[in-house]
Amino acid sequence: MKQRPMLTLDDCRKISAAAEAEAKKNNWIVSIAILDDGGHLLHLVRMDGASPFNARTAIAKGKTAAETRRSTLVWEDRIKGGRTSMLGMPKITPVQGGLPIVVDGTCIGGVGVSGVQSHEDEQIARAGIDALK
Amino acid sequence: MKRLAFAGVAFALALSAQAQQPNPMDNVPDKMPNDIPYGTPVSLATAQHALNAALAESTKRGWKLNVAVVDSGANLVAFARQDGAQLGSIQIAEHKARAAAKYRRETKAFEAGVQAGNNYLLTLDDVIASRGGILLMDGGKIVGAIGCSGGTGSQDEVVCKAGASAVNK
Repeated sequence: MKQRPMLTLDDCRKISAAAEAEAKKNNWIVSIAILDDGGHLLHLVRMDGASPFNARTAIAKGKTAAETRRSTLVWEDRIKGGRTSMLGMPKITPVQGGLPIVVDGTCIGGVGVSGVQSHEDEQIARAGIDALK
Repeated sequence: MKRLAFAGVAFALALSAQAQQPNPMDNVPDKMPNDIPYGTPVSLATAQHALNAALAESTKRGWKLNVAVVDSGANLVAFARQDGAQLGSIQIAEHKARAAAKYRRETKAFEAGVQAGNNYLLTLDDVIASRGGILLMDGGKIVGAIGCSGGTGSQDEVVCKAGASAVNK
């Protein structure tokens, strides 16, 4: 039977702490969400001063990355490139700041960040995922 | 035909007997119920302190739950799913915390109300009639709420209380 890695709560804490540290280092205030490969929430942190909207958006970005197995920037770029029909894809949030968590070539979840500029959100998500290595 | 008429009389009698009993819903209290003021939103540090205390209690007992903390505006601040906790409870944990904050009481109050036959409670907005949603307080004001789900209501409540009592002042 095929086996695949799976995120534990400890992994999530590691990812979230590293992402939060990256945000704090830059004086950024964000929400950080981690989801499993089914797009179900595993862990969420809304930093002091981040809005309820940030929390919702972080979850939505992370869900898109986890379920589609690709960065939300890929979706954003495809739409920006003129493929506007992609906006009709079911329940996606095509805004940079969501990254898939890939281990041994398998997507095991996603991280979504919202609160600052989109490329900065992604930088935070990347820092979180890098803590797994 | 006769039997039908008799049934009709019996029904009318039953109705009038009911009408004579006072309806508890007609009672008008002088004071507001649950008149607890909303305070400043809980900080992430405090929310995580409550969440971790709840997770520690659940781990100690070998349970697998979802735990959510919302602020005084009923918006999610922190969430964690223990390894192997059921998926359906992700939303329920948040819902319990949100309902506790929105209605300024433990969700157990709704559970008790429904159990006592007050089914109208289920028609109120965003209610969840299951224990395991408890207020987080600071200086007599509501700063947020914690919600737990994944076990029986009673298990959820034990873990919830461990979280709330770690921060409530």
